Amino acid sequence: MIDRIFHNMTRFSALLILFIVAWIFVVLFNHSTEAMNAFGFDFITKDEWAPNVDKFGAYAAIFGSVVSTFLAMLIAIPVAIGVAIFLSEIAHDKIKGFFGVSVELLAAIPSVIYGMWGLFYFVPILRDLFGGMGIGLLAAAIVLSIMILPFMAAVTRDAMNTTPDILKESAYALGGTQWDVIKDVIIPYAKAGIIGSLILALGRAIGETMAVTFVMGNVHHTPSSILSPTTSIPVTLANEFTEADSSLYFSSLFGLALTLLIMSFAVIAVAKFYFLRKVRKGQ
Amino acid sequence: MTATQKRIIMNRVALTFSTLSTLIALAFLFWILAILVMKGVDALNWNIFIYEGSPPGYEDSGLKHALVGQLILVGLATLIGVPLGIMAGTYLSEYGKNSKLAHTIRDISDIMMSAPSIVIGAFVYAVVVMPMGHFSAWAGAIALGIIMIPIILRTTDDMLQLVPGTLREAAFALGAPKYKVIKDVVYRGAKAGILTGVLLGIARVAGETAPLLFTSFNDNFFTTDLNEAMPSLTVTMFNYAISPYEDWQQLGWAAAFILSMFILGLNILGRLILFFGKKRK
Amino acid sequence: MASIIDIKEECALHVRDFEFTYKGAASPSLKKITMPIAKHAVTALIGPSGCGKTTLLRSFNRMHDLYPGNTYAGEIEFEGRNILGAKEDLIHLRTKIGMIFQKPTAFPMSIFDNVAYGMRLQGIKNKTELSDRVEKALQDAALWKEVQDRLKHDANGLSGGQQQRLCIARAIAVEPEVLLFDEPTSALDPISTQGIEKLVIELKERVSIIIVTHNMQQAARVSDYTGFMYLGELIELGHTEELFVTPKEKLTQEYITGKFG
Repeated sequence: MIDRIFHNMTRFSALLILFIVAWIFVVLFNHSTEAMNAFGFDFITKDEWAPNVDKFGAYAAIFGSVVSTFLAMLIAIPVAIGVAIFLSEIAHDKIKGFFGVSVELLAAIPSVIYGMWGLFYFVPILRDLFGGMGIGLLAAAIVLSIMILPFMAAVTRDAMNTTPDILKESAYALGGTQWDVIKDVIIPYAKAGIIGSLILALGRAIGETMAVTFVMGNVHHTPSSILSPTTSIPVTLANEFTEADSSLYFSSLFGLALTLLIMSFAVIAVAKFYFLRKVRKGQ
Repeated sequence: MTATQKRIIMNRVALTFSTLSTLIALAFLFWILAILVMKGVDALNWNIFIYEGSPPGYEDSGLKHALVGQLILVGLATLIGVPLGIMAGTYLSEYGKNSKLAHTIRDISDIMMSAPSIVIGAFVYAVVVMPMGHFSAWAGAIALGIIMIPIILRTTDDMLQLVPGTLREAAFALGAPKYKVIKDVVYRGAKAGILTGVLLGIARVAGETAPLLFTSFNDNFFTTDLNEAMPSLTVTMFNYAISPYEDWQQLGWAAAFILSMFILGLNILGRLILFFGKKRK
Repeated sequence: MASIIDIKEECALHVRDFEFTYKGAASPSLKKITMPIAKHAVTALIGPSGCGKTTLLRSFNRMHDLYPGNTYAGEIEFEGRNILGAKEDLIHLRTKIGMIFQKPTAFPMSIFDNVAYGMRLQGIKNKTELSDRVEKALQDAALWKEVQDRLKHDANGLSGGQQQRLCIARAIAVEPEVLLFDEPTSALDPISTQGIEKLVIELKERVSIIIVTHNMQQAARVSDYTGFMYLGELIELGHTEELFVTPKEKLTQEYITGKFG
């Protein structure tokens, strides 16, 4: 008897996850319909975000999200791969432990703090170097790349570590150097896992709010240059949700949230189902 | 130059680049940590724990409201997220195992772990804040709880699966019903791992700001009323740091420091538990 | 005192008072080993688990150097020099002393690229030379007929036995002097095992072979000389037939008759 109750309790809890996820999509969708009906496709394609006249085209926010994330990846990927190689192949036992744990602890620092550091310490540097206000697309991309780096390096390292030792030894046994082994054996072997890890990090970066809110500028227009202040979907949501005053405004914000969820979900699902079949932490 | 000589040079170049990128990355990250510690410690004083928040310029200003609020929110979220997460993880490991349903749940849960937390905030706004008519600690805690569940689910599932099948079989062979096998043998065997998962889940959720922005909202007043907006360290940090007032910014750094120490502490504690748990075996 | 026969023929390698301690270990895993390895012959190393046979094998191509922290003493002579020296060019050494591992280790690339890998490392780019030598290596490894039509296919498509022969082809393509086999058939079925054993006997015409095996019958089938090791020491080295039929040491006798495994 108790057995059946327990079984059902656990099954209920597990199904709850699926239910909540589905519910999230449904709720966001329902609350977006007003905006979707009002603007149709223009919602995504028009750069026209004007709360005072209740007109909402979210192109600027979407553009900001996509471009800032893309730039952040451009910076973070080579560095993350370099760090992953260091952690998995170069570091000797003692340092390996220290660096490995450091990287994972750094990934635990709340993103707000990256934003604060970015605003007070990094933006002035950008201002000095490039002029302008300092806050904007470039600042956001750089802060974002620093923020996502520990996670990206850690999962890429995990992917590389799945390479069996004797496979590496076989290459050394033919007279290969470390770099030969890395480029000819490890990277091809772990290719799927590495790409999957990078895409997974991208999925995370797209949804990043706090690190970026401080330094993006919150100007709801597509940027004229890489130094212009602009916005992204999470930044818009963070800044405007509590200020929305009409139901169309709210509906548009929900529409943004739904767009972000779909984008992020899609990217992460691709990473997971297409690339990361083999790699699970520790295997 | 022979091909092998070229390879050796290439090797040196590649390894140097790799080491350099690690040093640069760590330099940036330690820079951030150093700022955090310096500004945080500088801003620390007893007032923080005595006084609640006040308008900028006030002498007696503190973070009591935010500290207590954060504890309440995270505590409530833990009460929501941990039992559900552990139960769900138990289902996956002990009942669902390799069924299609179990794999689907694992996959969806995994995706949720990396999904944007601000979206969860929007969701909870729609289903809790709007019906209630106002912000509340409940809303914030539910948002955090939803974020916590996949994390706890995953670690519980992984840790329970590590318990050898033979242990379960031995218990069954003695005539124990399934729930007892799970309760007395499996949970006990995975105790350290589950605890670590919980600590790491709490650490992760304690650092979240976005989902609280429009669920528990934030203000400067100390309160323990769960039906009201509840201040949090994270949102306070955000509001204060982005304000133009220097004393508020100071408090922001103090909050950042306190929160980071708490989160790092939980992380380290979690790892130590796992480490000593392994050692005993 | 160990019973080690004096090898009259030429030696490919000569181990002298070789001692090896793993990083952090309390005592050495190999205790003052002295043994000659005959040229153009197959020398088998047998003994119970943990006796040090694989440790000794991996010392010949200095595989242990991949994992810093180990210490060793003594001498291993090859081509007139001690290859344990600090100045030894490991990359060059490993082109002269090749290794086949316990499990097939085909690289994630095509069959052709696998076999050509060692040659490409050495800088050989000429397409004709590469394909000629790849073909010869595959023929010597008795794999050519089975793969000649699919050289560009991924090596992972081959069966276990084929993959191991591919690894052998890859190793002999660089024309080494010595080949080290570390329990090469332990992951293979009996038929593939037979194929590998046949190869080993054929290859000794051109290469000196050292094979570690936990299968005594295999040692008896393929080797000319057999060395029995126990707890890090070389107990006996002799002509295979003599060692198995009339072992000189009591320990050898006991191991062969199965008194311990």
